[in-house]
Amino acid sequence: MGKLVLVTRLAARDLRHRPAQALLLLLAITTATAVLTLGLALHGVTSHPYQQTRAATNGPDAVAQVVVTHRAGQRPVPPAPVAKLMHAPGVSAASGPFLETTVYVHAHGVFAGAVVEGRDQAPSRVDRPKLTSGSWVRPGGVVVERTFAEALGVGPGDRITLGGRTFTVAGTAVTAASTPFPNMCETDCALGFSDAVLTSRNIGLIWATGPDLAAMHPAGPSTQAVYVVNLKLRDPARADAFAAAHSTTSDSDQVSTGSGPTVSGQGPPPVVVSVTGWPAYASAAAQLVVDEQQVLSPGAVLAALLAIASVAVLAGGRMAEQTRRTGLLKAVGATPRLVAAILLAEHVLLALLSAAAGLVIGWLAAPLITSPGAGLVGAPGAPSLTGSIVAEVVIVALLVALAATTVPAIRAAHTSTVRALSDAARPPRRRPRLIALSARLPVPLLLGLRLVARRPRRALLSVASVAITAAGVVAVLTFHATVTGVSITGQLGNPVLDRDEQMLTVLTVVLIALAGLNAVCSAWATVLDARTASALARALGATPRQVTAGIAAAQLIPALPGALLGIPLGLGLFAAADHGNKLTVPAAGWLALAVLGTLAVVALLASLPARIGARHPVAPVLQAETT
Amino acid sequence: MQQEVVLAMLAKEPSHGYQLRSRLQQALGPAGDAMNAGQIYVTLSRLEKGGLVSCEQTAGLPDRPDRKVYALTAAGQQRVSAWIADVSWPGPGLAEFHLKLITAAAGRLADPVAVVDAQRRELLRRLREAQRAAMAEPERSDAGLLLEGITLRLQADLRWLEACERNWTGRKDRE
Amino acid sequence: MSETEQTPVLRARGLRKEYGSQGSLVRAVDGVDLDVAAGETVAVMGPSGCGKSTLLHLVSGLDRPSSGEIWLAGLRIDQLPERALARLRRDTVGFVFQAFHLMDELTAVENVELPALLAGRPARAARRRASELLDQVGLADRARFRPAALSGGQRQRVAVARALVSEPKLVLADEPTGNLDSEATLEVLRLFESLHAAGQTLVIVTHDSRIAATADRLIGMRDGVFVDETRLADGTTGSLGALAGLEG
Repeated sequence: MGKLVLVTRLAARDLRHRPAQALLLLLAITTATAVLTLGLALHGVTSHPYQQTRAATNGPDAVAQVVVTHRAGQRPVPPAPVAKLMHAPGVSAASGPFLETTVYVHAHGVFAGAVVEGRDQAPSRVDRPKLTSGSWVRPGGVVVERTFAEALGVGPGDRITLGGRTFTVAGTAVTAASTPFPNMCETDCALGFSDAVLTSRNIGLIWATGPDLAAMHPAGPSTQAVYVVNLKLRDPARADAFAAAHSTTSDSDQVSTGSGPTVSGQGPPPVVVSVTGWPAYASAAAQLVVDEQQVLSPGAVLAALLAIASVAVLAGGRMAEQTRRTGLLKAVGATPRLVAAILLAEHVLLALLSAAAGLVIGWLAAPLITSPGAGLVGAPGAPSLTGSIVAEVVIVALLVALAATTVPAIRAAHTSTVRALSDAARPPRRRPRLIALSARLPVPLLLGLRLVARRPRRALLSVASVAITAAGVVAVLTFHATVTGVSITGQLGNPVLDRDEQMLTVLTVVLIALAGLNAVCSAWATVLDARTASALARALGATPRQVTAGIAAAQLIPALPGALLGIPLGLGLFAAADHGNKLTVPAAGWLALAVLGTLAVVALLASLPARIGARHPVAPVLQAETT
Repeated sequence: MQQEVVLAMLAKEPSHGYQLRSRLQQALGPAGDAMNAGQIYVTLSRLEKGGLVSCEQTAGLPDRPDRKVYALTAAGQQRVSAWIADVSWPGPGLAEFHLKLITAAAGRLADPVAVVDAQRRELLRRLREAQRAAMAEPERSDAGLLLEGITLRLQADLRWLEACERNWTGRKDRE
Repeated sequence: MSETEQTPVLRARGLRKEYGSQGSLVRAVDGVDLDVAAGETVAVMGPSGCGKSTLLHLVSGLDRPSSGEIWLAGLRIDQLPERALARLRRDTVGFVFQAFHLMDELTAVENVELPALLAGRPARAARRRASELLDQVGLADRARFRPAALSGGQRQRVAVARALVSEPKLVLADEPTGNLDSEATLEVLRLFESLHAAGQTLVIVTHDSRIAATADRLIGMRDGVFVDETRLADGTTGSLGALAGLEG
């Protein structure tokens, strides 16, 4: 017990002794854990929203769309199969039939298509769309499906033109009986549009009163009408079987006749019934969140990698001081195991703090990003922070800390005590070709190249971290190029895509921040490591500006291949996230800008600690070596 | 016993033989244990014959050596001054220089720190000469070996002189 | 004598260097005047902590004086910005440290050529000059050795060669034999003597009397001030034989 107290006390004292480094470590790991928490929280959200919407709106177990053909100019009436379906065996409740029409939509200068469903002002038995703003349909007032409303940019009180008539938006709502915009036509859209101006991703759902519906000018064929019936089954588990049993196939013996006058000489008008079970809606809804998840997971992985890189640089940078402390501890009798325990304890302490901070941040930030599909009643407020999420985040934080510090800790613990006391830090390796090459370069490159050659492992870490950051930037650019290339007419926004892009951007900002941290840490470690070398260089005649430039060059030299590597890495990352769909490579100009931007930022961040170091008087540093 | 040392000891005040002996013993410590008790009287009588010290018999007492009081003559004074100022290095004997400093301080003949400095300067010059000569010799020559020995001894002596300077400066500060 | 010959290579007036705050002020150098003529070797001796190393740092531009004036080769340097001081250190002044301060991962010749490279000299010219100097100090066969493979005396000789690479007007050495044993000290001694003979101006800070004995002038320092000065070029009173124990 006493040993545990001792270890904790020594570890805490060491952290307090160097607060800046401890803080940097904390920041690095916290960023990773925050992103991870977000990712995991979103993951939990995926499975629930459809169910919640269904519960909140008394959603149907099956939806039937009955297409009836009627004579042009005649008002359609619900055909016989509708009543048959509503009273079919296995059906416990039903609502409808609701007439649907396809119309053209004009709102705020945006042009789109909509399926308008006629509803009563009183709530229906099955499928009561839940209002997310405003009020339900009334004469002259329509309700727009929430995501569709977002895309159109309308809210309660705005004017909207449907089928040539202008209405007021009374409110917005969500429903489980349809798939939210822009994927509505994956499950619905039995009727088409008479011209092919619109693609299926530009069509959404709107509810209106019956008379309002009748007043709209239809966009679809004038001889067809769709009736929608929402069904609740006694056995919801058999919804798909029910749907298959009651949908019309191409076999003509399933065709039933509708009521109304027959077209002479052609027999009764055909009726097509297609029933969809609730599982189809659930999976279509889930797709939306999965898309978001696909952006977040690789992002979280990248963030975690960057965090590990930062921690490794910081931990490695502290190793020189650790070596001497280790020697002292061992000289007074501490076993190598105890020494390793102290070194690890510091980082475990930090990891636990970071995990807590990351969990809190992630939990607070989640509602800002999650609004799963917007078309569903997602987890209101914050996603639940289950025990498993907490456990996973803590474990990852600990792993990050351990991964980066195990090697230095073991090395420090097993260095011979004498060597450790004499503070013989790892002597730099000699690279004759680099030295000969650097002699022909201007002074800052000479210094920079030689500094890089001294610590190749740190240079590799720099390459990795810059590559990861550049990959993030390139992924965003690729997203832009691929996705915006797809949108038709460019008029209608796609909230899901917008949100994907938002998240990618947020992630990239986080990645850039982490990479910036990394660059500062790496530069600082270089400054510390090169303190004697730069003091000597100045004593031999290098100006402070040359030394600063040299240290900046030492960061830039590995950053260049890193930034270039980030391009294929980012493209690959996007491809992996997009399930190998075809992607558009961003314009060369943008890529060049990304590379140059990264390099510029690295240079700037590196020169800050370098400038501070280069201004210190030379004599004390060199004297310290001798005493 | 070096004649000049005895002379310098009398510079403080005229003394009996036994008084001189006790002061010597105090100054030399264990290094002076081997000294013969009678030596000092032999030196004193030689100095008297040479006219450098004068001898007074305390009246009324029998003619026994320890009743005599010795004092410096004018010639003796001159000899002491010359000895203090002399910077030739005696060789392995440290005692003489050591006593020079003590007697100079006791008899207010000269500032011991100044004496040390003068001797240091001389030794440094000698060191320079010996070093130059040593380096002019071809490597591994016999002469070179001897010269290296001289150099090393001079260096050692210089270290001791530095210690003397520190020591005597401290005494001055304390008074 | 021409004007340039009369101008001292180094001149300092009223040099002071203080550390600390009002409560505890440490005066490392407390009012020092110094003149060093061209071709002269000056040694500064004193106990540790007397400020002689600080004095050397001030005079070479590695540290700034709290007050006082310093002229190097006729140029006033105590107010110069860092950039100009750096140029000074690579063109006018060569510095030899007690701890050698050679770069471990460079060979001897790469260490020596470094100041020339920092001054912007082309690589080939710098390499040639470095090889010449290593030859001059007698280490031509060790040019490709790293410091770890050299003895203490050899390392310091490499450091001296490095200090000479830009043909400086003044070479400053801070306890050059402080980390060396007796034999290595001899090596460095020989080197300083040969430099002196070649007319190089040297200021050496040391507590080794053997090194000090190579100087023309020896200045004693204590508690930040000069306490005495000796001209060693004057003759001596005794013979070498007497020192060896020979009579007569």
